[in-house]
Amino acid sequence: MKVKGKLVKSAALAALVILLFLLPLFVKQPYYIHVFIVTLLYIIVVSSLRTIALSGQLSVGHAAFMGVGAYFSAVVAKELGWTPWFTIPLGGLAAMFAAVLIGYPFTRVRAIYFSMVSLFGGIAIVNIIRVAQKWTGAAGLSDIPPLSPINIPGLHNIVFLGQKVPYYYFTLLLTLFSLLVLYRVEHCRIGMTWKSIAQSHLVASSVGVNEGGFRVLAFAVGCFFAGIAGASYAHYNLVLTPGTFSFLPSIFLVMYMLVGGSGSFAGPIIGTAVLVIVPELFRSLKEFSPLILGAIMVMVVFLMPQGIAGSVEQAKSMFRQPRQREVHRSVT
Amino acid sequence: MVPGLLGQVAVNALMLASMYILMALGFALLLSIMGVLNFAHAVIYMVGGYICYQLAAVYGINKWLSLVLSAVIVGSFGLFLERFCYRPFFGDVNRTMVMALALIVILESTVNILVGSYVRSVPSFAPGVIRGGGVSVSVERLVTFIIGTVLMIMLILFIKKTKIGQQMLAISQESIGAVLQGINIHRVSAVATVIACALAAVAGSLMGAITNLNPFMGDQMLVKAIEVVILAGIGSIGGVVGAGLILGTMDSFLPLVLSGCATDALGLGIVILILLFRPQGLFGHEA
Repeated sequence: MKVKGKLVKSAALAALVILLFLLPLFVKQPYYIHVFIVTLLYIIVVSSLRTIALSGQLSVGHAAFMGVGAYFSAVVAKELGWTPWFTIPLGGLAAMFAAVLIGYPFTRVRAIYFSMVSLFGGIAIVNIIRVAQKWTGAAGLSDIPPLSPINIPGLHNIVFLGQKVPYYYFTLLLTLFSLLVLYRVEHCRIGMTWKSIAQSHLVASSVGVNEGGFRVLAFAVGCFFAGIAGASYAHYNLVLTPGTFSFLPSIFLVMYMLVGGSGSFAGPIIGTAVLVIVPELFRSLKEFSPLILGAIMVMVVFLMPQGIAGSVEQAKSMFRQPRQREVHRSVT
Repeated sequence: MVPGLLGQVAVNALMLASMYILMALGFALLLSIMGVLNFAHAVIYMVGGYICYQLAAVYGINKWLSLVLSAVIVGSFGLFLERFCYRPFFGDVNRTMVMALALIVILESTVNILVGSYVRSVPSFAPGVIRGGGVSVSVERLVTFIIGTVLMIMLILFIKKTKIGQQMLAISQESIGAVLQGINIHRVSAVATVIACALAAVAGSLMGAITNLNPFMGDQMLVKAIEVVILAGIGSIGGVVGAGLILGTMDSFLPLVLSGCATDALGLGIVILILLFRPQGLFGHEA
């Protein structure tokens, strides 16, 4: 029974991935492909936010680390003329470096206070980006080089400038890679340690877990992927403004994660997909479309205590024998 | 020239500090009593400003009356907020946070639809300038500071002297113990939410007269309020006052030498330094 369920699950996943690869064949309008690219990038960021949340730290300044990656990669590529293929990982490393730098003092505070401090940290980072006008531009950074053309044997020379479909495939591959890494990290020993810290930092440190170190590690890993996603966004959008990474975007990232459900790996993916794509469907309503977002959130918070993904699990356990019902508990 | 400038900046610092403290006290009340990270405080501040503008500028009601009415209306919204948005999820940080974010999205876009994002401003409460000894001071800012201080003292007296204020303190120190002593935690939370919302509305109306109104004006203020709470340490009312004064002074004196963004960036450096040495905040006693 269990093996069969696993088979069905992996078959469904494979079908979904194949469908995503075939998507540009069905969707021709560049605007919709743009929506999908942005959704995929946000899935990376929100999943990495959940990786941080695994260790009991709900960061409310995550978009700022996206900004660190984006600006670092964009500025290096623009000023030094390096290829974006190299500067995107560099952007991730820069975000990771920033995370380690401010993650250490932040380990002094826990839970809800960590959220408050991280929010403030994120805003300060955006302000630093605004101050460094010499490199980041007064009103925003423009003329960012796009991904340089690559030559894959068997395919034509792939040019990225002004094309949506190559960017879509690049983003899709990047997303799959990031999700795979994050999934593996969560299910290896490090991930278990993070979960133990989230459950009780006292017990964890009493059995010899280096709490501060592991919390900084979670912060660094999460911010690395946020930085990579931000850097890819920079070389896709070609224009950056600090507002993209400030207070409200950070809060929206948390919202995507909590609405999707922070208890399961699929939560951030589902939450981001629903909350990014559904308002796009109601785009014709213009300024009324945020209200639909709000309505979805209120509905989720009242009807689905564990988020959308969590409620699927709950529905499953309803059909099982009452004795086998699992105790559901959110990560954070 | 220089003493005149300093006098203005000093009044500005006091004015900003009193507004920061009003916002931070409300935020800290909800945080310590209900354990809610009330990000919606930003939009409540903004809605308070808009209601005051609507009453005073559009309906032509006396501006002082409309300030009070705005506080009353938003305060009663606080009753709704506590009863239907936060009480069902009592003790669940994640769901209350989603609820607060939903409120931000809904209220910001509602205000955006209703009034649009044009620049508006609450009519001035006390126009005019006091000049004396080479110092010229805007009466408006002085009045704002006085109102803020009076409200702050009233709230502190309320917490220290009345029974329900003492119950608030008890809950913030040890909620389970307080409930065991027969304190009705929901009633106390309702009172706290009403007070927090009313204070935010007053702050929003007063700031709306000094600066401009826009649907996103609350974000900056919320950040400052949180900064004050972190700096003060959780569970310390006197600390909020002290931290608010420090921050207000910093925010008015530093722009004389630095740009606005650099001021905020410097704030992070200071908070990180403080967290390194005093994780419980400047005035707090527990981590």
